[in-house]
This record gives sequence, structure tokens and C-alpha cells, in this order.
Amino acid sequence: MTDLGMGHYGLYVWSSLAIFAVVLLIDTLVPLARRRRHLRDLHARLARQQNRRRPGTASNHESHP
Amino acid sequence: MANWVPLWLHRLGSPPVFYRFAGAVRPWALGLAIALGAVALYGGLFVAPADYQQGDAYRIIFIHVPSAWMSLFIYGAMALAAFIGLVWRIKLAETVAMASAPIGAAFTLITLATGSLWGKPMWGTWWTWDARLTSELVLLFIYLGIIGLHHAFEDRRQGARAASFLVLIGAVNVPIVHFSVNWWNTLHQGATVRLLGPSHIDASMIWPLLTMMAATKCYYVSSLFARVRADLVVAEGGKGWVRDLALDDAKDAPA
Amino acid sequence: MTPGHLGAACAAVLRRDLLLAWRRRGDVAMPVLYALIVGTLFPFAIGPEPALLARIAAGVVLVTVLLSILLSLDGLFRADIEDGSMEQLMLAPQPLAMLVGMKMLAHWITAALPLIVVAPVLASMLHFPATAIPVLILALALATPLLSVLGAVLVALAGGARRSGMLLALMLLPLCVPVVIFAAGAVSAAQQGLPWAAPMAWLGAGLALAVVLGPLACAAALRIAMDS
Repeated sequence: MTDLGMGHYGLYVWSSLAIFAVVLLIDTLVPLARRRRHLRDLHARLARQQNRRRPGTASNHESHP
Repeated sequence: MANWVPLWLHRLGSPPVFYRFAGAVRPWALGLAIALGAVALYGGLFVAPADYQQGDAYRIIFIHVPSAWMSLFIYGAMALAAFIGLVWRIKLAETVAMASAPIGAAFTLITLATGSLWGKPMWGTWWTWDARLTSELVLLFIYLGIIGLHHAFEDRRQGARAASFLVLIGAVNVPIVHFSVNWWNTLHQGATVRLLGPSHIDASMIWPLLTMMAATKCYYVSSLFARVRADLVVAEGGKGWVRDLALDDAKDAPA
Repeated sequence: MTPGHLGAACAAVLRRDLLLAWRRRGDVAMPVLYALIVGTLFPFAIGPEPALLARIAAGVVLVTVLLSILLSLDGLFRADIEDGSMEQLMLAPQPLAMLVGMKMLAHWITAALPLIVVAPVLASMLHFPATAIPVLILALALATPLLSVLGAVLVALAGGARRSGMLLALMLLPLCVPVVIFAAGAVSAAQQGLPWAAPMAWLGAGLALAVVLGPLACAAALRIAMDS
């Protein structure tokens, strides 16, 4: 097993790995968050619409003016 | 030609079907990518012997070379999807093409950054106008132009079609750029240190490289499917199946 | 020629665009002035030594011409799309590619030809050797139509976009890397007394390909951008 210092080149090797990991991590998380946010927004909008249509049977906590 | 191409694409091309299919495949692809990537990095960073010329710095190739392959492979996949989308007017193919562009740009960026980190100890400089580095930089600009054109339109569908056309123009142009940059580089005779010289490559260096290549392919599938799922939810927001999805979403934790 | 004939239609489009350009002569002069001003900034930025300026003159002239063309491309189809004449051209019985090709030709005549005329002046101001000036003009004569065609295709694609100024530069500049390389390669070879036929031939091959495929691609791009 080689040493973690990689000769004198540890800085270069490990920072390459860090760049690789960080870029791909961002690339993984951004679309997941985007899909979740859109579904949540859509859910909130649908709930509001339902509320407006049947003001008496409001099933959620948003009070309709 | 055959009718089966549009037929088969039509079946998988139905957004709700593809959404479920992608949702089922994505975690497996990501898991496989992480497992293969971990094995490849272990093999590359610890098992493979140090290079007799470059010492341990050559270990950057286990990240750099698969990323460079992916930057071109994703362009090819994107061009194929763009072609299918433009010819058969399949919305899903356009979505796939547009979802590929940021992933390709990410891999191109990694290639440039790791190439620079490799160049510093090997050539003594962060950047050199080497033919391959320069082509990769131009490729990054082409990716960014495609992403920019896609987002410049009010109507996303129209933006996707225009950007798909730019993808095809770029597909013609990338080989010409590579050829001209090679010609230019031999003309000016800069520092021509070859990254992957003709020096023999040990078998213990080959298998981590190939494993990493498989890992990045799996990663591409996973990231592509995640992006396509997000794009489908945005584009089909008014349709019934997305509404059902949004209503279900609140009950159980999102998959 | 009968009025519905293809040749007559092409001539009409060309004449119309040239007439429109002639009525706004001031706009046509802008790219030329821009190129001259950018060219004169270089000696201020890097110093007036003749040897240094002669070394970079060809590159400066080429890049300046490229940027001036980029500047003039932005409005290439905008007026036609806004006033609806582009839709008329699309509905015309003549092939759109030919008509759009005429518009590209008109753009080249009004925007690039004046630049080719002032390029020797600009080059001489930068101490470019007089013996190599014919090669510079030939390289520009082959490179500028190529840039006009490539640019027109991209302008057509961005036709439906909200903002297109910087976007056009982002899309065009990577695509014209080969043009710049071969044009500058030919000129600097001539400057050093080396044979310059090979890069010039590549440039010519590229131009032949672009003249055939460019109008077709541009017509397809316009149909995508206008289709809504």
C-alpha cells in the first residue's frame, strides 16, 4: 500500500479527487432538489385550489380569506 | 426505413412511463457507479504501482482520462438524442439531449481542472496550449453555448429544439476543431509533452481505468435520469399524472 | 426573367437588402470604425515597437474583423422577423434556403467587404510587411464569408430568444476557432516566407462546404426558431 502523501504529489492527487467528487455531488443533488421543489410547489397550489373550491371542507391548515 | 424505431421510442417516450422507469433505474445506477468508482479509486490510488517517470502524480489519470472520455461520449449521446428529437419530433429525446448538456459540461470541467492539476507538477505550469487541452476548452465553450441557447427562450420546447440543432452543428464542428487545433499545435511546436506517452501501461493500471470508465457511464445514466425526471415534472406540471404525483408526494417521503 | 422565377426572386431579395443597407449608410460604417479603433488600441496596450507589432499584426486584424462581423450579425434577421417579412419569405414558393442565402450575401457585401478594404490600412498601421498583404486579403476574402454563413445560422437559431447579444458571441466563437487558425496560419506563413497554400486550401474547402450547407442549415434553423 502506498503512502497517502503520494510522494510529493499528494496535494495534486487529492485535490483532483476532491474536484471530481464535489462537481459530481453538486450535479447529483441539484436535479433531485429541483424535482422535489417543483412537486412541493405544485402540491401547495393544488391544495389552495381545492380549498377555494370547497371553502367549508378545508382539510389543511391554510385559512382561506 | 423501419417503423419500429419510432414505435419503440413512442412507447418508452410516454412521459409517465419513462418517469417511473427512470425512477426505478436511477438508484441502482447511482449505487453501481459509487461501488465501481470506489473499487477503481482503490485500485488506482493504492494498488497500482507508482510510475517510474511520473511517480505518484500519474494517479490523476484515473480521474482525468475517464472524465475526458465521458466529455466526448456524452456529446455523442446528446447528438444522437438531438437528432432523434428533431427528426421524429419526440419530446422526450429533446429532454434527454438538453439534460445531457450540463452533465457533459461537468465532466469537461473536471477534465480541464484535473488536467491542470496534473500539468503543474509535470510541465511546471497550470496551463499549456496543448492540442488536447485546447480542444477540451473549446468543447466546454460549445457545451456552455448549448446550455445558454436552451435557457434563452421563453418557450422551453422551442429552446430545446433550437439548442438541439446547435448540438448537431457542434457535432460537425468538434472534429474540425480537433483537427485544426492539432494542425495549429504542430505548426507552433509548443511544449509537446505527451500525457499518455507510448510508454507501456501495466495491467494493474488498466483495470482501474476501465472500471472507472464503467462507473462514470453508470453515473451518467443516474444523473441523466434524475435530470429528465425533474424536467418532466416541470414541463408536464399541468397534466394529471404529475398532479397525482404531487398529491402522493405529501403523504409518503419522496422516493 | 418572369417575376415568379427563382433568379428574379433572389435578385429582388438581394436588391431589397442592399437598398435597405444603403439607406442606413451610417450603420454600415460602424463595424469599419469599430475595427479601426480596436486595432489602434493594441499599440497603446502593448507598446509601439515595430517588430512586436509586425509579429501580432495578422492575428490582431483577423480577430478584430471577426469581432466586427459579430457586432454586425446581431440584427441580421431581427427587422425581418419583427415586421413579418420573414414569414412572407417562408411562405414564398421559392426555396427558403436560396432566399436566405441571398440575405447572407447581402450581409457579406455590406458588413465584410468594407472590412476587407480597410484591413490593409489597419495592417500597415501595425507594421505588417507589404509583401504579405495580398495573402492577408485572400485569407480575409475566404474567411469572412465563412464567418458570415456560420453567424447567420446561429443568428437564425437565436431568433426566437429573449436576449441574444452575448449569447451569439458564446455560440459563434467556439465554432470559428478553425477559421481563425487556418486564416492566421496562412498569413503568418506568408509573413515568414513559408508556403501558405495548404491552410488556404483548407479554408477554401471549408468555404465551399459552408456555402452549400449554410443556407440549408439557416433555413432549417429559421423554421425551428419561428415555429411556435
